Amino acid sequence: MHWPGRTIWDTRIQSVCGVLSADGDQGVEIYFSATFAQVSFDPPRIIVNPNRMYAIEEMIRRGRRFAINVVPLSEKENLIRLIRLRRRQTHKPEQLGLVICKDEHGIPFLQESLRTIFCEVDAEIPSGDRSLYVARVLESRRNPKYVGQQPLLFGEIAPSRFPSLHKTVRKVAIVTGGLDLAKKLVGKLRPSPPANIAKTTYEQAGATEPELSLIRSYGLLDRGRTLVPPAAPAVLTKKVGICVIGTGWGSFHCQVIHQVSPNARLFICGQNEERTARLARAVRAEAYFVGIENAVADPRVQAVTLALPHDLHRKAAEIAASAGKHVLVEKPIATTLADADSMLAKARQTGTILMVAEDMHFRPAIKEAFQRIARGDIGEPLHFLAHAAGVRRPRGWAANVERMGGGILMDIGVHYVRGLRLLMGEPNGVIATRAMQIDTKIAGEDNAQMLFSSEAGWQAHMLLSWSSLRGHIPDIVVAGEKGTLHLWPGASYLDFYPVRPTAILRLASYIRPYWLQAKFMREQFGRIRIGLRDKESGYQGEFREFLAAVAEGRSPVSPPQDGRRDLEIVLNCYEALSKHTSVAISPPESNFANGMPNPISGSDIRRS
Amino acid sequence: MLVEAGNTRNAMTVSFFSEVAHHPTALWVAISRKTYTYSLLEESSRFTLAILNQTQKALALHCGTISGKQEDKCKALKLYKSPGDFLFLHGALASTGCSVRERVNLGDHTLFVADIVESHIDSRKAHLRQLLLSDL
Repeated sequence: MHWPGRTIWDTRIQSVCGVLSADGDQGVEIYFSATFAQVSFDPPRIIVNPNRMYAIEEMIRRGRRFAINVVPLSEKENLIRLIRLRRRQTHKPEQLGLVICKDEHGIPFLQESLRTIFCEVDAEIPSGDRSLYVARVLESRRNPKYVGQQPLLFGEIAPSRFPSLHKTVRKVAIVTGGLDLAKKLVGKLRPSPPANIAKTTYEQAGATEPELSLIRSYGLLDRGRTLVPPAAPAVLTKKVGICVIGTGWGSFHCQVIHQVSPNARLFICGQNEERTARLARAVRAEAYFVGIENAVADPRVQAVTLALPHDLHRKAAEIAASAGKHVLVEKPIATTLADADSMLAKARQTGTILMVAEDMHFRPAIKEAFQRIARGDIGEPLHFLAHAAGVRRPRGWAANVERMGGGILMDIGVHYVRGLRLLMGEPNGVIATRAMQIDTKIAGEDNAQMLFSSEAGWQAHMLLSWSSLRGHIPDIVVAGEKGTLHLWPGASYLDFYPVRPTAILRLASYIRPYWLQAKFMREQFGRIRIGLRDKESGYQGEFREFLAAVAEGRSPVSPPQDGRRDLEIVLNCYEALSKHTSVAISPPESNFANGMPNPISGSDIRRS
Repeated sequence: MLVEAGNTRNAMTVSFFSEVAHHPTALWVAISRKTYTYSLLEESSRFTLAILNQTQKALALHCGTISGKQEDKCKALKLYKSPGDFLFLHGALASTGCSVRERVNLGDHTLFVADIVESHIDSRKAHLRQLLLSDL
């Protein structure tokens, strides 16, 4: 039976699967293509047609050289992962764990390909939303590892959990005419408009010049992402002598240290001897000290954690560093950038570790969401919503704006700024506003709302309040073109709502009458609940990382510059709040992020 | 590839073809200038690209080794007319009617960039894969 083709994919002209690879200014870019073919014998030439929405097109246009890596059948899973990756994801080969090689041609190619065709562009034929590149074949090299193996074909890459079963059922349905019957039935339930290949293909995947200009204006690669959560929790192999400085929030530090390192040598330091001694007994500390100078003078103490009023962070950190002790400082790193810079300089000068205790960096749900965004589950991330609320009445130093450095924005906002940077990237601007102040006993703000924007095309909304409750809603939502993630505070799971309806919802959409269909269209049928593999909290993760870094004499995975940058953004929010206007956020310094040169290298760190 | 110019028609096996763009929706075919098909394409700017399946090796060999000047290869093919008056092939995975937009000379071959006008899929062959050059 003949059916009218509705899209370009129905023409079956897509054939052998390949991966185009080319060099760019930010590393190697790779791109899936099943539409390359030979075009002449003498000289041997080949044509590729990369999509102009992808960075590879620009790289081929500029560099003029690329490789076509023919994909063997056995590499199907990797190809599916590549197809699912975000279009603007940087470092795609690294993300997929693919090995990139280079030889005398100077063209990057994939190690695991059936055949590699090295090409140099001879001519470019402008062709709408694709560029047609006619390229001379420099060399075609077969990989001996895959001798006898067939190339993967476009029709074979449909992902399936049970590929053999899927193939058999499909074949039976096709040969017996069952598929034709099903198509006719569906056609009766939902009649299709007359076939129009050009229109339908354009609507599904095409783009006009104005559309291309708009899409490309946000950047072909998302270069605004600088932070990466740790791949795995640190492993503690040695006992560390650690002193908790501060007896208020410090008691929580003690609890977490016991959880992650039950054998750690724990010490307590406070100002009030009675209170300090009581806490030391309660947490079974090895000893206690009155005054930070006494604590850092003790040779049993290798490192300190600072749970102090924010305005004391700098002084305490510098005292500890001067005595050669490594420092884990509570967030925010300080109340001013000058203080933060001074702390960083002291750590560098003394060769000690300075780490900011930011649990968001180690929160398992953030890591899972980060990985899902990177592998393309939600497509392009568009919106980040953070809602941190709960009735709290800070008193004492926390009610003093000078000592606290602000209000909820400084205390809680700084966490969500890190979450924002991890999941979305670096913001370029912010506007801020606030509702009426309910807690008039504190000088800082008890609520604030921020709207961040990025040149990469996303926006983020942050609502912080100490005067209202959040109720049962996630504290972070990340919405993208292909799905939405809900992160719940303290939960051992996160929720994923794919834009493409789940199988149950797709089936339910055929139920008639509509009142019966509505009974099956439940919210939970559109949700995929994802259990988190890491069971430790973000707090446990940050302490484990700090203790491991001290024990191993290495830099922590989150350098102190991350904390300084969080503070810088929070201070930009305060500026926006006071000026009632949008404030530009400067790009991070070049030596800032993970993967970039860290001012304190592992070899510089004093081994305890 | 099926071409019809006036009362003359011809079928030729081609392997140099692929997609051009999604908008405008187009494909390309490269044809040697020595072929009979090329001369027909000079007269007519319409052609059909019929994608053969893995069981159609004999058909591919027949249409790829004999010139249309010597024999009407279409006689041996099960052809039918599409609503848009293109010659379509029974048993092919898909037949696609195209209209030539641009010609580019590339050494021994000419590249024809063509808009896709209409297409038919043979639903009973959908489980089969394309016939590859390496199958011949």
